[in-house]
Amino acid sequence: MITKGDKILFFSIILISFIIFVSFQVYGFADGKSYVLIEVNGKLYQKVSLGETGPNLKISVPVANGENIVEIERDRVRMLSAQCPDQDCIRQGWINRPGQMIVCLPNKMVIKIQSDKSIKEDVDIITF
Amino acid sequence: MQKHRKKIFLSLLVSFGSVLHFIENMIPVPFPVPGAKLGLANIMSLIAVVFYGLKEGLMVSVIRCFIGALLSGSFSSLLYSLTGGILSTIVMAFAYKHFNNVFSLVGISLLGGVTHNFVQVTVASLVLSTFGLYVYLPFLMVIGLFTGLFTGLAAYFVKQNLDTTFVQIDFFEEEEPHETK
Repeated sequence: MITKGDKILFFSIILISFIIFVSFQVYGFADGKSYVLIEVNGKLYQKVSLGETGPNLKISVPVANGENIVEIERDRVRMLSAQCPDQDCIRQGWINRPGQMIVCLPNKMVIKIQSDKSIKEDVDIITF
Repeated sequence: MQKHRKKIFLSLLVSFGSVLHFIENMIPVPFPVPGAKLGLANIMSLIAVVFYGLKEGLMVSVIRCFIGALLSGSFSSLLYSLTGGILSTIVMAFAYKHFNNVFSLVGISLLGGVTHNFVQVTVASLVLSTFGLYVYLPFLMVIGLFTGLFTGLAAYFVKQNLDTTFVQIDFFEEEEPHETK
C-alpha cells in the first residue's frame, strides 16, 4: 500500500522543509538595529525602530475593511485587533526576531521585522 | 451510455468535493499558520485523475473551487485555491501517469498537497509583494505532508472500494456496436 518511493518522498520533504526552516532561522538571527515595517497593499505604511529603549505605542492602520491595531512594546510587536474573520494574526502573538512577520491576508497587511544588517548584507548572503 | 456515466460520475465527484470543502471550513485549524487546512476536497480531484485522467481532474478541481468559493462566500480565497488546485492536479496527474510504479496513491497525494502549499505561498507573496512570506513554507509543507498522508489513505480506500463496485456494475463496459445499431 505504501511503497518505498512514498517513504523516500516523505522523508525528503521533511528534510527540505527543515533545511528551509533552518536557513530562515540563521538568516533571521542577524543582529543589529531592528525595525518594524508595516505594509498595506505592498506599500510601506510606517517604519518604527525597535530595541531595549524602543517605544511603547499602539498604531491604528487603515485597511480595506476598517482599522487594524498594531501594538509595539520595546523590542516586540503584535497585532492587537484586526478586521478579519479568522483572526490568525492575533493568535500568532508577539514577534521579536528579524525575519519574523505577521500577515493579515484578508486585509493585505504585513507587519515584519527587519534588521540593519539583514538589509545591508542581503546581496552578500545570497551570493555567498 | 458510457458518456452519461462519465458525466454523472464527475458531477458526483464535484458535489462531494464541494461538500467536503464546506465541512472542512467549519473545522478549526489548531495552527496559527495562514493557509493551513485539511484539503479533504483533494481526494475527489485525485479520484478523477485516477479513473479518467488530467483533463477530468482539472475539470473537477476547477468547478469545485468555484462552488467552494460561492459556498464560503470569500472570493479573495478563490485566487489561492484555484491556482493551488490546478497546479497540484497537474502534478498529481503527471506523477500518476509516469511514476505510478514508484509512488502509491499516498505518495501522489503527498506531492499534490505540498505543491498546493508551495503555490499558495507563491501566490500570496506575489499578491502581497513580500517574498519573506516563504518563512511559512516549511510549516505549511510539514502540515501538508500529514494532511496529504491522510487524504492519500482516504483516496486509496475509496479507489479500492470503487474498483470492486465498478467491476460489479460493469461501469467501464465498452460500447457494444450491435446494441446501438
